[in-house]
Amino acid sequence: MQDVILGTSVELPQAVMQSVSLNLTVNGQQREFVVEPWTTLLDLLRHEMDLTGTKKGCDHGQCGACTVLIDGRRMNSCLALAVMQDGKTVTTVEGLAAPDGTLSPIQAAFIEHDAFQCGYCTPGQLCSATALLQEGHAHTPEEIRELMSGNLCRCGAYPNIVDAITQVLAQAATPEVA
Amino acid sequence: MNNGAMMIPSFGIGQRVPRKEDHGLLRGQGRYTADVDIHHQLHAVMVRSPYAHGHIRGINAAVCATMPGVRAIYTAADLASYGAITAGGQAVSNRDGTPFQPPPRLALPQDRVRYVGEVIACVVAETRWQAKDAAEAVVVDIEQLPAVTDCAAAVAPGAVQLHDSCPGNVVIDFQFGDSAVVATAFGKAAHVVKQRILSNRVVVNPMETRAAVAIHDPAAGHWTLHTPSQGVFGMRQSLARVLKTPPETIRVLTGNVGGSFGMKGQIYPEQICILHAARALGRPVKWTDDRSESFLSDNHGRGADMTAELALDADGRFLAVRLTGLSDLGAFMAAPQIGTTNAVKNLIGTYRTALIEVATKAVLTNTTPVGAYRGAGRPEANYYMGRLIDLAAHELGIDGVELRRRNLIPGESIPYQTPSKLTYDSGDFGAVLSETLALADWDNFAERKRHSATNGRLRGLGVSSYLESTGPAGQEMGGIRFEDDGSITMITGTLDYGQGHASPFAQLLVDRLGVPFDSICLVQGDSDQLISGGGSGGSKSMMASGEALLQACAEVIARGKQIASHMLEAAAVDIEFADGHFSVAGTDRQLALTDIAARIHAGLALPQDLPQTLDASLSITTPPSSYPNGCHVAEVEVDPETGVVQVVAYAMINDFGVVINPLIVEGQVHGGVMQGIGQALLERTLYDAQGQPVTGSFMDYAMPRAVDGPPMALGFRPAPAATNSLGVKGCGEAGCAGSLPAVMGAVVDALSIYGIRHIDMPCTPERVWRAIQAAQAA
Repeated sequence: MQDVILGTSVELPQAVMQSVSLNLTVNGQQREFVVEPWTTLLDLLRHEMDLTGTKKGCDHGQCGACTVLIDGRRMNSCLALAVMQDGKTVTTVEGLAAPDGTLSPIQAAFIEHDAFQCGYCTPGQLCSATALLQEGHAHTPEEIRELMSGNLCRCGAYPNIVDAITQVLAQAATPEVA
Repeated sequence: MNNGAMMIPSFGIGQRVPRKEDHGLLRGQGRYTADVDIHHQLHAVMVRSPYAHGHIRGINAAVCATMPGVRAIYTAADLASYGAITAGGQAVSNRDGTPFQPPPRLALPQDRVRYVGEVIACVVAETRWQAKDAAEAVVVDIEQLPAVTDCAAAVAPGAVQLHDSCPGNVVIDFQFGDSAVVATAFGKAAHVVKQRILSNRVVVNPMETRAAVAIHDPAAGHWTLHTPSQGVFGMRQSLARVLKTPPETIRVLTGNVGGSFGMKGQIYPEQICILHAARALGRPVKWTDDRSESFLSDNHGRGADMTAELALDADGRFLAVRLTGLSDLGAFMAAPQIGTTNAVKNLIGTYRTALIEVATKAVLTNTTPVGAYRGAGRPEANYYMGRLIDLAAHELGIDGVELRRRNLIPGESIPYQTPSKLTYDSGDFGAVLSETLALADWDNFAERKRHSATNGRLRGLGVSSYLESTGPAGQEMGGIRFEDDGSITMITGTLDYGQGHASPFAQLLVDRLGVPFDSICLVQGDSDQLISGGGSGGSKSMMASGEALLQACAEVIARGKQIASHMLEAAAVDIEFADGHFSVAGTDRQLALTDIAARIHAGLALPQDLPQTLDASLSITTPPSSYPNGCHVAEVEVDPETGVVQVVAYAMINDFGVVINPLIVEGQVHGGVMQGIGQALLERTLYDAQGQPVTGSFMDYAMPRAVDGPPMALGFRPAPAATNSLGVKGCGEAGCAGSLPAVMGAVVDALSIYGIRHIDMPCTPERVWRAIQAAQAA
C-alpha cells in the first residue's frame, strides 16, 4: 500500500501578480478588462466574457478550434495573450451573424451542405473560413483544402466544409442579377 | 432568387432535412461539458503516472497541501470503499467456455501504475490554475519496472507481467470455429494466401476532450454529473456500480458532445474522483482534460497483430478463412469484442466462405487501454479480408474485381446463413459492386494512370466490398410527450455525439403522427427522464430508437383513438387516424392529434376508463443486428521520390437499407472514410522501449486534415432490412469498414511495379519510401 503524506493545509502568501488592464472590442462591444498577464485571449473570452462558443481543442495552437478574428485576421486565440490584444477588435463565432440574427453566408452554407457533425470545431472552422474568403488567396477547392488545413475536424466533415466554402466563394464572384 | 411559389418543405422519411441543432451550433450556442460552470465550483486536476510501469512506493503531497487554494488531495486510500470500473461491451468467452476475467481496475491504483497517464491522485483547488500548480507539487515515488508495449512481446516467455490475475498477460483466449475442419480445408486447398497484417493503434482524439462537473446534494444523498457520454442511462448504471449506490441517486446529464467515436462510451477514473470530491467537500467540482492528457488517458482504438489466411480452390473460390493473432488491450480491459466476436461476425463480409476460424488472444501491455473506435473490430475484419483477396488475386493471376465477383454472395442466396451464425437478410452485393465501378469510372483508370505517370506519380486503384454486423439487440426507450406549449418531446436512450439524431427521429414522427416538424424536439441526455437506454454505438441508433419511437407512435395513436371516440361520440372501432387527424369513418368529423393534446392540457375531463394522456413511454427489446454493406473505390497517387500518398478520387455505393435522411447519412459516411484515410495513411501511435508515448500531441500525431480529404462520389442502393420495421441498416461506422481495404488496396496497387504485395498501415511517406527502397534493393 502507498505511503501517503498529506501535509496540513496552510495558506502561504501568494506571489504578487501584476494584473494588466486592456481594452477590447468584442463582437462590436467595447469593454475594459483587468487580467493576469498570462491569460490567453481564449480564456478571457470563455471565462471573463462567458463567450463559450470559442472552443478549446488543444490549447497548443495545433487544432484551430479556438480560431477567432483579430482585426479581421484569423488567429488561434489559445496562443494569443490577452494583454497583447489591447485596442484590437475581436470577432468570435457569436459575432458572425448579423445583429438581427441573419446568418452570414458561410454559416448558411454550412447548414445547406451539412458541413459539421459534433459542432465542436465548427466555431473555428467558421471564423477561419470567414477570413479565408476575405484573404482572397483561395480560388479552387484544392486551395481551400490547403488553406483550411489548420482547422482539425475529427468528424471528417471536410468534403462538405470545402463544398460550403466553394459555394460562398462562387456566390461572391458572381455579380447579383437584378 | 426564386420568386415562384413558396416551397413547402417536406420533412418526411427520405428527405434531406437539415439538422435541428445546426442553428445553435453555428452561433456558438452549443452547450458542451466544459461550457458548464456551477456557482461556487472547485476545480480538479489529476496527477498522472510519468512511468509506464512501476510500484508506487509513496505519495508526498505535503508541499501540494500548502499551496494556494488547495482544498483536497485524493489518493487510492480515499476511494478504497468503491468498486472496480468494469469493462463495457459484450459477453465474450474463452475457448474453454469460461467467461473472461478482466483485470480489476480501480479509479486510483493502490500500489502499481501500468501506463503513462494513469491517474494516481486528484488535486482539488479553488481555481483550475491553482489545482494545476498544486498537482505538479505532488511527489510520487515510483520504483520503475520494465515495461512491455508490444502485444507480441507481452505473450513471449519471460515477459513482464501486468496483472497477477492474468497469467501470460492474456485476458481472453478466444476461439471460434472448428480448427481441425478448417485445417483440413487449408490442407486440401489448391491455393492458400497468408499475410501478417497489423492494425495500427490510433488515438481517438475527438475535438472535445473529456470533462465532467459533479454536484452533490448531501440532504438528498444525490449526485448530478455533467459529462459527455454515448448514453446517460448506461453511464449512470456503471457509475452507481463503482460508487456502490442505487442508480437513482445519480443524475447524469449530457449536453452537446464534441465527438466520441466509441471513446466516451465508458466511465473513467476522473469521473469517480470528482464525484467523490463533490461529496467529500460539499461543493461542485469541475474537471476538464488537457489535450496532452487526453492523448495518454482516453481509450485508444484499434491495435492488433494478426495473421490472416485464405484457402481457395482451383477456380479461385473461397473455401475457408482463418484469423489468428493478438489484439492489444493496453493496461486494462475496456472492450472485449474488438478482436474476438466482432472479428468473427465481420470477417467474411460479402463473400461466400463456408468455413471460418478466429483464434485470437486479447493481450495486456503497458499502454493506454484500447477501447471501441468507430467500428470496434468491424473495419479491421473487412480490412483483413480485403487484403487477402488482393493478395490471392495476384497469386492466382485473376483480376481482383473478377475474383470478388466469383465469390460475392449472390442475391438469390439471400437470406444467407454465414459460418459465423449470422443470417444476412437482404442485399445485392454484385449490383452494388457494378454500380460503384461505374461511378468510379473504373474502366478508364489506365488513362488516368498514364496521366499521373507523366507527372512522375504512381497511380493505384483499390476496391472493397464491405459488410458490417451492427450492434446487437438490447433494451431501448421510446418516449413521446405532448407539452403544454404545444411542442412534442421525443425521449430516447440513444445519444448522439455529433450524428444528428433530432431531425431523422422527428422525421419518423412527422411520418407516423403527422405532426409539424418544427414542433418536435429531442431529449436524450438526462438520465432522470429515461426508463431504459442502450446508448449509441455499433451503428444501431436508428434501428433501436427508430423502432422504439415507432412503437411509441403506435401507442399514441391507440390512446388517441380511444380519446377521440369519446370526444367525437363514435365507436372506437370507427375511428381512423391519418395525416395527424382522427376521424369517424365515412364522415367528415375529425380531430387533430395536436388539438386533443391541447384540450387535455387545458383540462379536458376524460372518463376514468379512458387513457388520461396521449403520452407514451415504453421500453422495447430492439431489433437484431443489421448488415449495412457497400463498395468503395479509392484512387491514390504516390510520389516515388518522397513516398507521399494522396487519395485523389473516391467513389462508393452503400446499402444502408431505407435512408431516413440522406443529408446526414452522407456526412456520416464522409467522416468514416476520413477516419479510415487517417488510419491508413497518417495515424501512428508510438511508444518507446520504456513505454513512453512518443506521439503525444497534434505535432507528433498526424490527424487527417482538409487537404487529406478527396472529393467523394457517393450513392445509395438500398435493399431494405427485413429485420426491423423501418428497413434501416445503420451507417455510422461503415465508412471506416469500406475505406481501410480500398485505400490500402490502392496504395499496394500503385506500388505493385516494385513487386510490393503488402504494406502495413499507416502508409506514411517514410514507410512508403523505405518500402520502395527495400524493394529496389532486393
